Amino acid sequence: MNQQNILKSIEEASKIFGKTWPLYSFVTSNPLSGYEKSPFKVALRHAKKLLNARVFPEATLYRQAWEKGEIAKENILHLLKQNGLTNTPEFYLRQLESQVPTEKKNSFHSLDRIMVKWLSAFMDEGLAEWDMPGKEKGFYDAWRSLALYDDELVILKNTDIPKTSSEALAHVLKDYIKDDYIEILVCHLAALPGWTGYIKHRSESNSLWQQKYPINIKDYLAVRLYVAQQLKIQILPQNDELKKNGSIELLQYLWLKAWEKSWQDQLIHNLEKESNEIKNIQPIVKSPDAQMVFCIDTRSELIRRHVETKGNYETFGYAGFFGIAMDYKDLNNGLSRKSCPPIVSSSYQVSEIPQEKKIEKVLAYKKKNKIFKFGEFFLSRMKNMLPSAFGYVEGSGFFYGLSILARTLVPGYFYKFKIKNTPSFERICEPKINRLTVDDSNYGIPLDEKVAIVKSAFELTGWKYFSPLVLFIGHGSHSANNPFGSSLDCGACAASPGRHNARMLAKLANLSEVRKALLNQYKIIIPYTTVFVGAEHNTTTDKIEIFDTEVPNSHQKLLFQINSDLFKAQKTATQDRLGVEKNSISKAQKKANNWGETRPEWGLAKNAGFIIGPRELTKNVNLYSRCFLHSYDWEMDTEGTALESILQGPMVVTQWINNHYYFSTVDNENFGGGTKITHNITGKFGVVQGNGGDLKMGLPLQSIRQTDNKMYHQPLRLTVLVQAPLDRVQKILLQNEHLKTLLDNEWIYLLVMEPLKQNVVMRYENGMEWIPTKEKRFDENKYRSEIELITLDGNLV
Amino acid sequence: MILENKSQEETTLNTNKKNNTPLSISLINIIPLFLWVLFIGNIMYALYFFPTIPEWSKGTILKINGFTILIWTTVTFFSAIVSSYAKTYLQGFKYHTKFMLLCIGFTLSVMLLVTSNHVLLLLFSWLMMGGFMSYLIGVDSEWGEAREALKFTFRYFLTGSLFLSSGLLLLAYESGTFTISKIILILENLPQHIVFISALCIIIAAFIQSAIYPFHRWLLSSMTSPTPASALMHAGFVNGSGILLALFSTLIFTSNTLNILLIVGGLTAIIAQFTKLLQVNVKQKLACSTIAQMGFMIMQCGLGYFNAAIVHLILHGFYKAYLFLSSGEEIAHSKPRTPLEIKIRPLQAVIVILFGALGAALFVLLTGKGTQIDSSIFLTLIVAITVGQVTYNIVKERSLSISQKIILPPLLFFLGIGTYAMLYNAVTLMLADMPMIAVPLPLSSLQIVFGIIFLAGFFIMKLGFYRKIPWLYVKLLNLSQPYKKSILFYKSNF
Repeated sequence: MNQQNILKSIEEASKIFGKTWPLYSFVTSNPLSGYEKSPFKVALRHAKKLLNARVFPEATLYRQAWEKGEIAKENILHLLKQNGLTNTPEFYLRQLESQVPTEKKNSFHSLDRIMVKWLSAFMDEGLAEWDMPGKEKGFYDAWRSLALYDDELVILKNTDIPKTSSEALAHVLKDYIKDDYIEILVCHLAALPGWTGYIKHRSESNSLWQQKYPINIKDYLAVRLYVAQQLKIQILPQNDELKKNGSIELLQYLWLKAWEKSWQDQLIHNLEKESNEIKNIQPIVKSPDAQMVFCIDTRSELIRRHVETKGNYETFGYAGFFGIAMDYKDLNNGLSRKSCPPIVSSSYQVSEIPQEKKIEKVLAYKKKNKIFKFGEFFLSRMKNMLPSAFGYVEGSGFFYGLSILARTLVPGYFYKFKIKNTPSFERICEPKINRLTVDDSNYGIPLDEKVAIVKSAFELTGWKYFSPLVLFIGHGSHSANNPFGSSLDCGACAASPGRHNARMLAKLANLSEVRKALLNQYKIIIPYTTVFVGAEHNTTTDKIEIFDTEVPNSHQKLLFQINSDLFKAQKTATQDRLGVEKNSISKAQKKANNWGETRPEWGLAKNAGFIIGPRELTKNVNLYSRCFLHSYDWEMDTEGTALESILQGPMVVTQWINNHYYFSTVDNENFGGGTKITHNITGKFGVVQGNGGDLKMGLPLQSIRQTDNKMYHQPLRLTVLVQAPLDRVQKILLQNEHLKTLLDNEWIYLLVMEPLKQNVVMRYENGMEWIPTKEKRFDENKYRSEIELITLDGNLV
Repeated sequence: MILENKSQEETTLNTNKKNNTPLSISLINIIPLFLWVLFIGNIMYALYFFPTIPEWSKGTILKINGFTILIWTTVTFFSAIVSSYAKTYLQGFKYHTKFMLLCIGFTLSVMLLVTSNHVLLLLFSWLMMGGFMSYLIGVDSEWGEAREALKFTFRYFLTGSLFLSSGLLLLAYESGTFTISKIILILENLPQHIVFISALCIIIAAFIQSAIYPFHRWLLSSMTSPTPASALMHAGFVNGSGILLALFSTLIFTSNTLNILLIVGGLTAIIAQFTKLLQVNVKQKLACSTIAQMGFMIMQCGLGYFNAAIVHLILHGFYKAYLFLSSGEEIAHSKPRTPLEIKIRPLQAVIVILFGALGAALFVLLTGKGTQIDSSIFLTLIVAITVGQVTYNIVKERSLSISQKIILPPLLFFLGIGTYAMLYNAVTLMLADMPMIAVPLPLSSLQIVFGIIFLAGFFIMKLGFYRKIPWLYVKLLNLSQPYKKSILFYKSNF
């Protein structure tokens, strides 16, 4: 049946496209995730052809890295030589620089434009007051009943248009042979990849908008191809001459590899030095005053460094959703959103209930919130309606004038004012966990599941003893007038702030029945004097806010001490991050609240490594916020189950983040968001550039570049470094085919620091080969000696 | 060092290759400062001499009066704000310096415009205004669509300048002088058809500048400009028509073209306000709102209240600049709405009518408009309906207590009408030496018909009838599409 052929082709064609996430929960995912099963190089070649995109860093980035010495000469020379390229690196760099992109006319211009008109009208999530008529019938039907009035098409009766999207597709495709279907469909999905991605996201997430106003890839293609036919556009793409440039591609690839290798060499150099020093110093056994668990996020590295020097504190790295696969229901708007990694399906829903004796305060809070919401509604009504829009402008104009002055001249002062006057419910509410499927029930969840959540936190991070206060610190970002605000929140929480996960875990760990079960079943002894508390690290200002209402009096003194140390840490951390000596905190606060600030903070930019191991390994190294850090103790994880979970979960999340940054950097227009300064928000969920166009799917220029031309994020593939016995790692890879595929296809690198052999670092190579890396001095300009290849027997385990 | 041993912010200020000359850096820092000084100087001057700003003229070329100082203060305020904002917002933009220079160029051309007493000087500054604005729209010259938008908008501005030139040169030729103040004095002696034709030309120039229907498309295609340039455009540039019409108010009266302003302005206000409802892009939504507000401003001129139009352009400038500068705040996770119920209880209706009447009375009392039965009654009517809508929304809100419902509406309309009246009276005083700036017209049947159309628009909107007319949706959707070549026209090729 032809219908089935078409359906199958659609499924096949849409598989290779990534999803575009809404900006209110901006997940940094790999835009080429559909290609992850192919080797990196092959995927890149496909993507380049399909999307007309740049897939390797442009020459100017290599130039900047080269001039800063980030690409070691020995590494690039070695790689060039290996590939029979004997000229100087400078020669090849110039060759790359001679490649200048050209501009060409979009052959689908009218078609794309008309599709954007209808897609953005249909997919709007509440920006327009007047919805597209007939939206509830679904995209195809809604369009079908309006197309008659669209004078950009010549349609006389709407009965001329096929009744269903299937018929429309069959009608358009009937002149083509079956083998051409996929090519046609892929080409038309690739014309507006951002919108295609958002249709995919909507149909897969089945959001409230999707439930009420359904749209799917088939409807979109049906409308698009039908319109194309009406416009007499050739729908089968002509194979236009592709710029065949194999040698340039190879050069780009080699320079990338050399750059990555150089970074790894430096990392290994630093860590090996550190690990050698540790061996000589016996740790002084002194139980820390408090322990703090941060997200694995690269920004935690900086604040951990600064917190640790302020007192006797121990810090850990753990995925910022704190092991709770949950959706979080917002008290303010009643909407539920994902608060765990997008690769994990949620099983729980966490919502807020009043704390004991605070029911009245919560009621008052809710009332205030309602009035606030009414205020917003009121303003939009006044602005939209005739003729109040005119009267409103005249009556309120003066006050807008005052606000403009205040926001432009004293943004920092405004920030303090805003913080003081924003009511927070964390002090009057507590989180409650329920099953996701039983909506709003009060049954809670069984004890063993609570215990499992708490247990994993300690198991995965290699926890040994408990201080009187243990802080679980999620993180969130605070910026003003920033459509990409959520891209700066916690990546492990699907771009939500992680504070609620942290509060939830603290509450579970404080339950006496949980502690009893941990003791009886797993021999985990938590002293009764230990109190767990949730907190949030504000990554824009480096302030750590502790949700401390339930800390008993006995711990108040300690809490006071911690708060004052955290304040000191905030001061030095912001000095370090912003590169200023004086008033660093108010400078950060100004950045957080300045409406003209396009770079409030750098998010995860510069990420390049993921280190899985104990904090001692990295404690005295400044990693400049370039590494994700997951605490792990190979000695405590005898079975390797903890490591397996870390590699399956957090490692994949960090790979997504890293690839997202990579692609947004190499082609900011196609994979990223382009520059923020000309962004135009569409439908409350996304941005387009200027007057309109494709929906932007990635990070904006201001998140990855210092200036239009100057690099900030270095587009390097993620290097994962694990401290664990090699055979254990090998065993896990053999059991997890998809992890091995990721490595073999070069989406990430893996280094293993072998604790059983003086912490020698081994590099994974295609097909389970391990190559020892030797510490090399960096300033040596000698050629690297031929690397000795050691092939470990795959059956070693 | 591979691991990067410098702090993150390093040299953000030193921007990039094209921009890192000391001259550009200092320009980026000095221009906002200069504009602030200019603004403060202006406002001090205005406050010192208020309400009678001394008139100063330089031969037959330049003239400075209350109106000049008022517009100078306004435009320097907006450019100071915009350039301060742009100083951080555009950090690292490769055309940052160019942007700042265009900004100051635009500001100076507006300042020159309101100082010109010579026809050619006025034409020159009008053309420069459009030129600078086009270049702000296409400031990123490496972006194909932006270049298309530049060309497209410049064609509009050039056309506007040509119309203005025809109108003014015709007047100059007929009256034998290039001095604007002299031309205005002898308008009555010129042949009626000449006066009419040149008034028409000037009106068309004004309509183009303010993106009045059917010249609206340039404004909807101007989003290739960086956000602060849009703020300057919507708070400054589009107001050119209000300034022009106020300068030539006598001509409008003499040529009997007030009704053209009333009809075209009023229709534009209604159409654009409906078009705004279906916009899904925030900047297009704001642009439709601007078109509607400009329509309203032109309508105020058509009713004989050029001073009210000037007040409107200032207040709308505050409003729209704010909304553009904060246009990044529109991202939100929300759920589909359920249609509002339109029901009102008798007691609520009584309160709505009572407060509406009170608001209108306050407006009449404070501004002096609407004391007689004349064209100003429309402006009073709009105030009454606005206050009515404020009250309606508040009394219907369940989360508010009874006392809040009683206190809030009067509080809001006291503040709103109070500040408006303050500014209105101040502006009127500053414009005292300008002829024919606030002349209430006897009520005509056309005005009444128009008032009824306005009310009909209000009810269609209020009751949501428009939602049941799909063809209207599509027509307005197409009407508000940007210029074709300014979206998705080019592709890069690596």
